[in-house]
Amino acid sequence: MHKSRKRWAAPAAVLTAAVLALTGCGANSAPATEDGKSVVTFWQQKFEDYQQAWFKEQVEEYNASQDDVVVKLQVVPADTWDQKLKAAQAAGKQPDVRTTSYGNIKPGVANGHFAELGELMDAEAFDDIQPNVQDFVTSEGGYYAYPLLVEPSTVLFYRTDLFEAAGLDPDTPPTSWAELVEASRALTKDGVYGMNIGQVALDLAWSSWGLQYNAAGDLPIAEDWSEANATDPAYLELADFYGTLYQEKLMPQEATYPYADCSFYGEGTVAMSACGSWAIGQLSGNPDWKEVLANTAVAAFPSADGDQTTPTSTLGGWTLTVDAKSKAKEGAADFISWLVAGEPERMVDFFKASGYSKYPARISVGEALAADPEASGNPFLTVVSETILPYAKAEPAYPWDISVAFGTALEKAMKGGDAAAAFEEAQVAIDGVIEKQKLAGTNPQ
Amino acid sequence: MTSLQTLRDTVVTAEASAVVNLTRRRRGSHLRDNRTAYLMLAPMVVLLAIFVFWPLVYSIYLSAFEVSFYEEPVFVGMQFYQYVLESPGFWNAIGVGLRFALIVVPLQMIFGFVIASVIKGLGRRLAGFMKTTVYVPTVVSAVIASIVFVFMYRADGGLINWLLSLVGTGPFAFISDPLLALPAIAVPAIWLVTGITALIMLAGMLDIPESYYEAAELEGARFLQKTFYITIPLMKNVLLFLLVTGFVGALQQFELPLVMTQGGPVNATMTPNLFIFNQFKDPTPYATSFSITAALLLFVVLGTISALIFRLVKSDKAIDG
Repeated sequence: MHKSRKRWAAPAAVLTAAVLALTGCGANSAPATEDGKSVVTFWQQKFEDYQQAWFKEQVEEYNASQDDVVVKLQVVPADTWDQKLKAAQAAGKQPDVRTTSYGNIKPGVANGHFAELGELMDAEAFDDIQPNVQDFVTSEGGYYAYPLLVEPSTVLFYRTDLFEAAGLDPDTPPTSWAELVEASRALTKDGVYGMNIGQVALDLAWSSWGLQYNAAGDLPIAEDWSEANATDPAYLELADFYGTLYQEKLMPQEATYPYADCSFYGEGTVAMSACGSWAIGQLSGNPDWKEVLANTAVAAFPSADGDQTTPTSTLGGWTLTVDAKSKAKEGAADFISWLVAGEPERMVDFFKASGYSKYPARISVGEALAADPEASGNPFLTVVSETILPYAKAEPAYPWDISVAFGTALEKAMKGGDAAAAFEEAQVAIDGVIEKQKLAGTNPQ
Repeated sequence: MTSLQTLRDTVVTAEASAVVNLTRRRRGSHLRDNRTAYLMLAPMVVLLAIFVFWPLVYSIYLSAFEVSFYEEPVFVGMQFYQYVLESPGFWNAIGVGLRFALIVVPLQMIFGFVIASVIKGLGRRLAGFMKTTVYVPTVVSAVIASIVFVFMYRADGGLINWLLSLVGTGPFAFISDPLLALPAIAVPAIWLVTGITALIMLAGMLDIPESYYEAAELEGARFLQKTFYITIPLMKNVLLFLLVTGFVGALQQFELPLVMTQGGPVNATMTPNLFIFNQFKDPTPYATSFSITAALLLFVVLGTISALIFRLVKSDKAIDG
């Protein structure tokens, strides 16, 4: 008996060790290097190439600048980010610092994902955040993220040479949806589509937020998240706008590129395109598109009635957050302070590298950029700062399911389905989300 | 009499003792055999327990909670089963999966059967070449196939639309049209599995004694008669296996819609696994529990369908014995 117990002891120990290794259980202390430096893992979502280069360079500089913390950078592709992060959270292997979009901050705080940065960083750093961005990074009275940048999600890009060729005035781009459709009709010829805009549910779910605001003055849910509001007749006009562009074949008939990728425009397939401001960086970063860039102008996206002071874009952007379960919170906060809340010049370099396609969320960085002759003379920066940023709205903080339900309805209507029936379906789906996820009265805005 | 009795008793005792010894020996050898069998089974049982049974039991346990990786889970009983069963998205995904399987499985079986029949009739060298050729798609990654087919389907500059333009039709936005998207992703699915289906069928065909065909030929049977009266009935078990695995595999299709259509347009290619995966990606505790429960219910659906197929097409012992 004694012998048999001994015989099983070794395999059982091996098995237990294997299970512990597989399940990721370990000691409950902060990881450290052999020479005692605290290890901070940093996941950066993959953006344009220059961003990866900038982050890599900065991390190396930070690691060399002090002896207490080592930051380990990992670039994660955008299309695998969600599942990779969730799997890491399930295994307790989530990064200490990660890039987080504004829209994910408040829901993340509600679910306990983030550490409060206000307790870990200097108060002065938060005073430097622009007033209209302050609310994006605060929840329940505390700061949970430090902003890196802001960028409007919907900007109109158009080809001045093709405008002239079609007899349109490039100095007076369309300001209403009707004018945009007319211009698209005039520009659709010789194998070039007049326009490009999101066309699949997952793209429409977020890229149409600004236009949803524009059509109905609000998003398809009541202010207090108590009920759906997707059957507002104003959305029929929005569906008609998208549907006309698609069904009259004034835009590409399949989404070869997702909305966030402005390649249709860069490749010359379309004469106008809706895209985020980041496309300025994408266009200027591709040497094959030099000629297109030289003939490009940007403008605020047209509104339903031509009023350019109403929102047509949401103000997206990225921040850095520290995980609530991080064992190296101090080191993580120190890195964030150094990288995005420290010297304004460091961020000025970032915005220069972006080709002024992204915009500062800090007062001091904005002032430094304004003092820079190259930046202040950039025509794209001027248009975006003066005609788009002041009217853009914050991204919604409600669950993604709601945006997908509305995006699906919009796609159905766009591709020839009954718009009213599609929005009815969205209404039922959104009400279902509100009920099952107990959202009524929980809007953190 | 007494001595005879004693002798008989002695003989009986000896016999009894021999029987007891023999039984002991047999029992000993049985025990050793059992121990060997258990030892050989143990690694698989342990692996199954760790990677199948325990996760399954744990998932059932977790489905009774709203699971958060950051806060204490909240016990909600059977609530998520109700949510999943009430979800139009879940039923749409099951419907898409069934439609997809109904397109893919019959065609893969028919193509596989035809290819296997052709290979069986070829000479040894050519048959070897053909077997390798039809097997090639099986080793191609579904992700690579998806990307290649996306390029082939493109409305502008895609190979298929170029071919269609030669006969004066198109272009069609195959993977952006809600009506065409599901058949469009079924094509690479069929292409990927037909080869291995054909080889399994060929193995089944080669198992049928040649004498049956010779006898049939003497009776004047033609190809179709031999196929329907000899080949198909004797391949029943192979066909049943391919039907069940093909159906379950098609219902669980994931990579093709993920890469080619992301489940769109308007959820026309949202297969059950992709639906569950998309739910899982969402960062809320609700989404985590919903995806766990939906996965368990999909398990029930797949089990039911497999059982139905088994019931409809009963497996038999080979009758050629």
